[in-house]
Amino acid sequence: MYDLASVLKTEAVSNVRPGTSILIAGPAMTGKESLAIEILAEGSRNGDGALVVSTGDSAENIVEDYRDRVAGVSNLQLGVVDCRAEGSNGSLADGDTPPGLHVHKVSSPGDLTGIGIGITKCLEALHGAGAENGRMALVSLSTMLTYTDRETVFKFCHVLSSRLDAAGYVGVFTIDSGAHDDQTLQVIKQAFDGLVEIRDGESGREGRVMGLTDGPTDWTAL
Amino acid sequence: MTDSAVPVVLIVEDEPDVAETYNLWLADDYEVRIAGDGDEGLDRLDEEVDVVLLDRMMPGLSGDEVLERIRERELNCRVAMVTAVEPDFDILEMGFDAYLSKPIRSAELIETVEKLLERSTYDRLLQEYYALVEKQATLETAKSGAELAESDKYARLQSRVADLQEELSQTMGGVEDDTDFITAIQQISGSEDS
Repeated sequence: MYDLASVLKTEAVSNVRPGTSILIAGPAMTGKESLAIEILAEGSRNGDGALVVSTGDSAENIVEDYRDRVAGVSNLQLGVVDCRAEGSNGSLADGDTPPGLHVHKVSSPGDLTGIGIGITKCLEALHGAGAENGRMALVSLSTMLTYTDRETVFKFCHVLSSRLDAAGYVGVFTIDSGAHDDQTLQVIKQAFDGLVEIRDGESGREGRVMGLTDGPTDWTAL
Repeated sequence: MTDSAVPVVLIVEDEPDVAETYNLWLADDYEVRIAGDGDEGLDRLDEEVDVVLLDRMMPGLSGDEVLERIRERELNCRVAMVTAVEPDFDILEMGFDAYLSKPIRSAELIETVEKLLERSTYDRLLQEYYALVEKQATLETAKSGAELAESDKYARLQSRVADLQEELSQTMGGVEDDTDFITAIQQISGSEDS
């Protein structure tokens, strides 16, 4: 079981079943991606493997930010699939594996097969490195939706969730709720087991969890 | 593939003895067609064929060329490539759905054919599932929560969505191994172009 309670500030998610996939939805600039990465970081502090699939940030930035977050953790196991690698020439190359790190670069967020292969290779590497449990974050579906239609993104999420289920991982995916019409959001939600809604409340960022418990949880400050 | 009909397997293989061996293994459960080279294979291929066993190294048209023409015709069949050496699974990027390396044992051949048929079922279910999810979302965005609660149509839709979700997770155990995962994604990305 995965304990997401300390990051999401509700006991409702202290026992999340392996194979659960969760959508994090909220307006722009509400820290959805940071929240997703923090869910991974919390896992890393407990020895879980971590896999970040990014459509917006370079592998180099992700690794640097992640290492800062989990400073002091020994035997960190991090996989990164950088989906914006077209023409990039950062210090990390495709297939690079410095200790504890597995990097794969994919030409574009529209190359779903390439992303799938990158995820597969990272999952294999993390498993091979002894990480029995793991957490994956995909940031963000909104970018993917600008490259690919909603039918394809829906099916991709469904297939990826099944793969994570087989691996016993928990998956978090972010979407900018202001960037898509209601129909798109309703369809994409259906590909996930649970939903974390984020909003700007009176006292700052608030969140609530739906789908993982009998009813939605109360809005809580994050 | 239709549910009622016996699945059709097309064997494209230039060595008659090898083709006949495959036929013996498959004939009990499937309708088998045999072609001795790539041109004949393309002639014998139509919408009814579910799985193609394609030898990669043949005189005349190669397996790769035959595959390219199969994909151009936008048929829904699954293609297993038969190779002399075991390739890396990256070869799936070329558009094959599976590969078998010679010599092939009967259990292995039957298992591959079954797997490919199961993947076709999975794709069909996923397509149906998506269509229902779209319908459900349309109702959800058009009607209030109270209206939905009273709608029989919505209740029926919800239960069909739940049934299909269950059926999908039973098919291929969801998506169990790496090859299933990659080919499932390829199928999704490919269907976008058509």
